[in-house]
Amino acid sequence: MTGIVSSPRAIAITYRVVLRQLVSKGRLVALSLIGAVVALVGWAVGRASYDEPWLSPEEVERLRLDDAVNTVANLGFTILVPIVALVFAAASLGDTREDGTLVYLWLRPTKRWTMAVGGWLAAITVSLPITVIPMVASAMLHDVGSDLVVGAAIGSIVGVIVYSALFVLLGLLVKNAIVWGLAYILIWEGLVAAFGSAAAKVAMRGYTSSILSERTGVDIDIGTLSQTVAIGVPLVIAVAALALSAVRLDSLEVA
Amino acid sequence: MSESSLPPPPGAGAAYTAPVSDAPPPPPPMVSVSNVTKAFGDVIAVSDVSFTVGPGITALLGPNGAGKSTLFRMLCGLAAPTSGQVRVLGRDARRDAEVRGRIGLAPQQDALFDRLDALEFVSIAAELHGVAEPENEARRVLEFVQLPADDPKPVGSFSKGMRQRVKLATALVNDPSVLILDEPLTGLDPVQRRRMIELFVELGESGKCLLVSSHVLDEVARLGSRVLVIAQGRLAAAGDYHALRDLMDDRPHRIRVRVDDPRPFAAALVERGIVDGVSIATDALLVDTTDVDGFGRSVAPVARELGIRLREVAPTDDDLESVFRYLVGGR
Repeated sequence: MTGIVSSPRAIAITYRVVLRQLVSKGRLVALSLIGAVVALVGWAVGRASYDEPWLSPEEVERLRLDDAVNTVANLGFTILVPIVALVFAAASLGDTREDGTLVYLWLRPTKRWTMAVGGWLAAITVSLPITVIPMVASAMLHDVGSDLVVGAAIGSIVGVIVYSALFVLLGLLVKNAIVWGLAYILIWEGLVAAFGSAAAKVAMRGYTSSILSERTGVDIDIGTLSQTVAIGVPLVIAVAALALSAVRLDSLEVA
Repeated sequence: MSESSLPPPPGAGAAYTAPVSDAPPPPPPMVSVSNVTKAFGDVIAVSDVSFTVGPGITALLGPNGAGKSTLFRMLCGLAAPTSGQVRVLGRDARRDAEVRGRIGLAPQQDALFDRLDALEFVSIAAELHGVAEPENEARRVLEFVQLPADDPKPVGSFSKGMRQRVKLATALVNDPSVLILDEPLTGLDPVQRRRMIELFVELGESGKCLLVSSHVLDEVARLGSRVLVIAQGRLAAAGDYHALRDLMDDRPHRIRVRVDDPRPFAAALVERGIVDGVSIATDALLVDTTDVDGFGRSVAPVARELGIRLREVAPTDDDLESVFRYLVGGR
C-alpha cells in the first residue's frame, strides 16, 4: 500500500538523506579550520596588552570589550558564519540538482516545501556546531564577560538560520552557487559596511552585528537595530527564502 | 497505441498498410501524449509527438539524443512541455502529487545517493511513497532484482550493473501502475538482462504500463511487440515490432567489401544480379542491396570462383541511426 506521506515525515526523510550526503570529512575539516582561526584570534586579542599609563582601568576594560566585539563581528559574522552556511546550504539541494539525484526526492508524492525545509534543516545541523562552537570559544577567550559570549552565540545561530535559507534558495537558482555565494558575501555583505547603518538593513551582517552590539553595549557602525528587529527580520527572511525555494522546486526542470 | 501503423517504406506510397491483428480492442490509455513539443532555446528536443499507451510493454526505440529521455522526463513531470499535453493516468504528473505516487522511474543517469547502502536507498523511496512497511518492501524488490539487501557497502561503490538494479528496485518499490525505464538494461550482463526482460514481461502481463527505452534493436525484440520509434525528436514510427523489423529488413543496405582486385569482382556482382549497385571507393567496394541474406550467401563463392581474396565484408549502415534516417525519410 502507498499513500501521501505526512509533511513532517517527508521533512524528516529529506533531512536524513541530505544530511548523509552533506557530511564529508573534507568539508568538515576545512571549515573547522576557519573556526579554529576565529577562536585563535580571540585568544590572541584577549592576551593583548592595554597597559598605557594615561588609561584608567575602566577605559582599558572598555577598549578590551570594543576590540573583542569588533573582532567577533568582523571575523565571525563577516566570514565564518556566512561561508560555512554557504558551503552546506548551497550544497544541500543544489548538489542534488547538479548531480542528478534530485529526481529521487522530487518524483515523490510530497509537498515541495518539505524538501526545502528538510534540506535547510540538514544544512543548519552541520553548520551550527562548526560556527557556534568557535564563536563562543573566541568570545570566551577574549575574557571580557558573558555578554559577548551570549551575543556571539545568538548572532551565530540567527546568522546560520538566515544565511542557510538564502543559500538553499541560491543553490536551486544557479549553477556554481558557491561562486555566486562568495561574491554575495564579499561584495554585497562586505561593501554594505562602507555605506553605514542605513545600508546595513539590506545585509544580514547588519542584523547579526546588531545582536552583538545590543548585548554588549558596544557601538558597531552597521549594528544599530533593536534586538527584536535584529532577530525577527532574519527569521522572516528565512521563511520567505524557504517559500521561494519551494516555488523554485515546483517550477524546476529536473534532469 | 493510437498511432499504431508504421509509416510506409520509401517508395511504397499509399499502398502500404500496417499488419492487421485479431487482437481485442485496446484498453483505455494509461499514458497519453498530445502534440508535445519541447524546446531548449533554439534546440527542438521533441517535436509535435502524439501517442497513447495502454497496459503492457511499449518500447521507445531511438538513437542517443533522439529525445527519448526528454519525453520520459515530461511523462514523469520532471520537465514541462513547451507546447502540447502529457497525461499519465489522465493527470499531469508535474502538478499532481498523487499521480506521481503511481509512477516508477528508473532514470538514465547514473547518479545515486552514493553514501547510502542499497537497502537505505530503496527504503527512502518507499518511505517517501508512503509504503506501509518500507524496509520490508525494499527488501522484497531488492531480492526481485537480485541484489543482497544486507550488503552494507554504499551504492557509490557498486558496479554499473548493480547501480542499474538499485534504480530498478527504487522504481518498483511503490508498486507503480506506470513504470518508466530509461535504458534499463545498460550495464547489465547477459544473464541479468535476460532476468530483467523476464521481469518486465511479467510486470507488463500483470496490467502495468511499462515504457522502456533503448537504442539497441535486439533488446527491443525481446521486450515485446509494441514499439515507438523516436528519431530527431519526432515519432518516426509506431506499431508492432515485427512489422518494424520487416520494414527494416526490406530497406536498401550498403555493405563495404574489401578484395584484392575490386574491379572484376564488382563487375561479377552486377552481372549476376547479386547487388543493386556498386561503387568503387579508394580501397573497397561499396555495395547496395535489398537482399542482405542473398548477398551473404553469394559473395564468398563468387570471390572463390574468380580467385580473388576476400578481406572484409562489413555493413556500413547497420546501426540504428541509419535505420531511423530511413524511417524518418519515409514519412
